[in-house]
Amino acid sequence: MTSDVTTRTYMITGPEPELWYRDLISCLQATFASLLAREGADALAVLGAGWRFLHLPGDVRSEEFYYPCPDDESGGADLGAALAPHHELHSRWWQPADEDDLWQEVRATLADDRLVIAAVDNFHLPFRPAYGDVHAAHLVVVYGLDEARGLVYVSDAMPPEFRGAVPIEAFLRSWGSANPTDVQDAFFSDSRIGRRCLDVRLDAPAPPLTPELLGGFLRTDVHDFTTTTPARTGLAGFDEFAGELVDQCRAGDATALRELYPFGWGMQAQASLHGELLRRCGREWGDPALAGAGRAVEAVAHAWTGLRITGAHGHGDPRAVSADIAHHATVLRGKYASAVDAVSAAAARM
Amino acid sequence: MNTTVSSAITGLCDPVDISGHRNNTAISSATETKAGAFNVWGNSFAAEYLPDGESLVDVAGVPFRFPPVCDGPDNIRCAGQFLTMPEGRFDWVHVLAAAERRCEDTVELTFADGSVDAEPLRVSDFWAAPAWFGEIKAFESPVMHYPHHVQRGVSAVMWAQRVPVTRRADLVGIRLPRNVAIHFFAVTLQRTEAGA
Repeated sequence: MTSDVTTRTYMITGPEPELWYRDLISCLQATFASLLAREGADALAVLGAGWRFLHLPGDVRSEEFYYPCPDDESGGADLGAALAPHHELHSRWWQPADEDDLWQEVRATLADDRLVIAAVDNFHLPFRPAYGDVHAAHLVVVYGLDEARGLVYVSDAMPPEFRGAVPIEAFLRSWGSANPTDVQDAFFSDSRIGRRCLDVRLDAPAPPLTPELLGGFLRTDVHDFTTTTPARTGLAGFDEFAGELVDQCRAGDATALRELYPFGWGMQAQASLHGELLRRCGREWGDPALAGAGRAVEAVAHAWTGLRITGAHGHGDPRAVSADIAHHATVLRGKYASAVDAVSAAAARM
Repeated sequence: MNTTVSSAITGLCDPVDISGHRNNTAISSATETKAGAFNVWGNSFAAEYLPDGESLVDVAGVPFRFPPVCDGPDNIRCAGQFLTMPEGRFDWVHVLAAAERRCEDTVELTFADGSVDAEPLRVSDFWAAPAWFGEIKAFESPVMHYPHHVQRGVSAVMWAQRVPVTRRADLVGIRLPRNVAIHFFAVTLQRTEAGA
């Protein structure tokens, strides 16, 4: 249901999208959280319920919203399932089907009273710090469209937070940007935006989180962390990823260092949300061991900072930072091991 | 913190000279934002919202010697440097610090008897972030400097954090973390009270 104020004017009903933010998340988690909040779900409980490690060699893209996500049976990537493996959150990428009517799908989604997540290039958006300066791939929530007045209504929880109207021409430039290589942002430029959008659905309401339910999630995640698979998953997958990263640095190859920042953001954000959720549940349920396990998972998130920032500063000279990269990879590996141990112990009692 | 307790702490505190170790410029003026590069994107704190360079500032009773402002390097980007301390018994190492994203690491406290203790150092993000580790927000510029413009709506925060000295022995030095995400702007030692 929408308020069809004038012809070709579409606006979601009810309040504007919630600006949901944490300092370690990216636009990916922030936009999904906005949609979850609109569905009445506890965004932290959904996005923080799962905790995994997955690295897909050759898959990392220079986008703030990159997250490792294997293709499903249909060949599409379900980011929702990757972000919330214990919930019925699903998403699919789409692009306008008709070059002569780019807004067709956006209109239909808004008319269905649902939000759209759109990929954009910050260079063209007046409210982004990078406006007119730096090309960088980003996600925003679209919650209204007024074609009569030439406005798109956009919500963005990432600082500086913004919720309001953007000229339709500016949005179109951003949405359709080639996002060319930009020396000022080696990590999020050089990735064509291509008017991509995400259709996100929570197919079943998130059940109330109980110790029994969360305990099951934790046992599944611990199993995945401690089981070797052909893919780079769990602690063994981290070892493979870190070993390759250090080897490439020593060989003077900057590829892995350039990928480290966007790839690591997803892993860092997931750990921070999972840790925060476990701490919250531990406090609410009077379970200090669970709260402590949450803090151990947060320590993983904090250790990602040292690795990511060392890589960011050092990507111009991989050999020079190879020892520091190896150091931070070792520290991070230790944090993962401690956190998996703490979560395992907490889960065994739930 | 009440005034009595605050002033009692002040009397136990000695700012430490770290000028020989500064290797990064994190503060810039609005007319020359490109002069600062706290992080990899060249963002920096806005000088007009910070104390005067070299001034003695008070943060919850702890005095710090603020670094030079717009006059060369103003902070230490941590890379395992060893800071020699005036030898003595101390309870706390107070720091003015900020991090490129939320960060945890360790500092190594070196003592005159040869012992070394690693103690946790936790510093929140400088980028419009909350005090995740319970630090005191020491200083904040409500705008963020970018290389080519001044950005409203994004603050830059400098935190007052502390590290405990648990060993009852004479401290002689501090080895900083090997972590370029963490920046120190000032260090102050808080002496052990007599008889403690």
